[in-house]
Amino acid sequence: MPQPVIAAVGSSPVGRTDFPGRDLFSLALEEAFEGLPDPAELADAVYVGNQSEQYEHQIMHGTLLAEWAGLRNVPAERVEGCAAAGALALRHAAKDVRNGEHEGVLACGVEKMTAGGTGGATDALSAAFDRAIEQRSGVTAPSQYALLAQRYLHETDATEEDLAEIAVKNHRNAAKNPRAQFSDEIDTDTVLESPPVAPPLKLYDCAPVGDGAAVALVTTAAVADELGVPWVTVAGTGTAANNIAVAERNMTEIEGAAVAAESAYEEAGLEPEDVDVAEVHDAFTVSEALLSEAAGFAPTGYGYQSYLPPESREAGWTDVSLSPSGGLKARGHPIGATGILQAIEAYEQLTGVAGDRAVPGAETALLLNEGGVADAVTVAHVLTAGTEVAR
Amino acid sequence: MSGEDRLDVDSPLTLPGFFSALADGDLLAGVCADCGEVLLPPRPACYGCGSRNVDVEPQPKTGEIYSYTAVHTPPPALEDDAPYTIAVVELDSGGRLTGRVDANYDAVGIGDPVELGTRALTDEERSLALEHELEWPLHVFEPV
Repeated sequence: MPQPVIAAVGSSPVGRTDFPGRDLFSLALEEAFEGLPDPAELADAVYVGNQSEQYEHQIMHGTLLAEWAGLRNVPAERVEGCAAAGALALRHAAKDVRNGEHEGVLACGVEKMTAGGTGGATDALSAAFDRAIEQRSGVTAPSQYALLAQRYLHETDATEEDLAEIAVKNHRNAAKNPRAQFSDEIDTDTVLESPPVAPPLKLYDCAPVGDGAAVALVTTAAVADELGVPWVTVAGTGTAANNIAVAERNMTEIEGAAVAAESAYEEAGLEPEDVDVAEVHDAFTVSEALLSEAAGFAPTGYGYQSYLPPESREAGWTDVSLSPSGGLKARGHPIGATGILQAIEAYEQLTGVAGDRAVPGAETALLLNEGGVADAVTVAHVLTAGTEVAR
Repeated sequence: MSGEDRLDVDSPLTLPGFFSALADGDLLAGVCADCGEVLLPPRPACYGCGSRNVDVEPQPKTGEIYSYTAVHTPPPALEDDAPYTIAVVELDSGGRLTGRVDANYDAVGIGDPVELGTRALTDEERSLALEHELEWPLHVFEPV
């Protein structure tokens, strides 16, 4: 069975833009295929991660983006798992290449989140929660994660300052990432003094609303070598859905994320200690803490130390670098595109083009992309360096 | 499933049946006959063990706050209500349920005792409700 690889990546600007979704995709595709043959020559299937038709009153993104890429009469579909949609698209593409169904697949993600303002995004995102009990009670995405944060602060030694430091670290990383929505560094007080959104979470604990699209060409190493492009291997993938209502889950140990990560590690034949760099789903600061534990990087209750340099963390932590892209918090979180943006960061880290934010010697990356609140659905990927590059 | 057990709108294993009982003051849960998991609201299969051997049983309406927050940036239709308090409550039966708490955020803490009640939807909440939800009461936790 051929090992799937990512051989080309591209993204649109992330943030408030004047472009509708299809144009955001065009910008991403233009970057990914610069200097390469037409997408139709290299791919014959399309998966598109996309959260909601509420933003643009548009579904059928498989059909639409295939068309915009110049592909006709090929398998093309939108996949949906709220914010995990992008990684689901990548997973489907990787499996299709692995089982020989397609030699090249476009794994895409797109979201035009700013179309209805903050209120529109709040409404659209709340559709990810249980309708009967949660939505009718007036929950929002920040309040759902705040329920996790409140309990986490109650059960562990973590403080609101620790969560703030995660945001500070991710803004610092994003300042070195030309793809990031935010390029400004912030300090702890900026976070702590920002307006409450859902206590203990404040504005700067939350990933921003933004538009964006991203694409990855998933193909074989043979094709990538023929093209003469650097590539990374999709060595493992896993996914798990837990209950939709957060009250019915373990709220301090994110079981579904652990299951997804373990299956990705197993498929890759690797362990958490092997991971050099990880992009986890820090839609809210507490998520980076919880997912560091679920991924096997941190001992239970100490994931909040993700902002510290490895030598300062609790015993039992690995030396992984978390969210060098700036994470969802500062690189940005255009929902359906986020999973692909995470893969782009791993691609750049593992092919030696991450510039000032390069994690020295990085050869293995873990990606964790979540949808709904926390592990309502989690998708994990392990990517490993393919082509030899100067590091 | 035998003929007389078929799901219909009166069955508490469906949402209309669950909310109709709630409107009458009964909080019903599914209780797995095989592993004891409490399923709130009731549903036909147990997420704890996969069994479809689920009994419906009335639940105590008292419990304590497991986690809580306040919504400062609500869906636009609920703007005038904000900030409002939301909690995950662990009922005395062990089942957990998310809901509004009829108290200010600052007056609430983890471990506080609460009791579940219901009220009709406000005009704003009705504007968000789907047609089949209009008569469903909203459950709200009251501090004890």
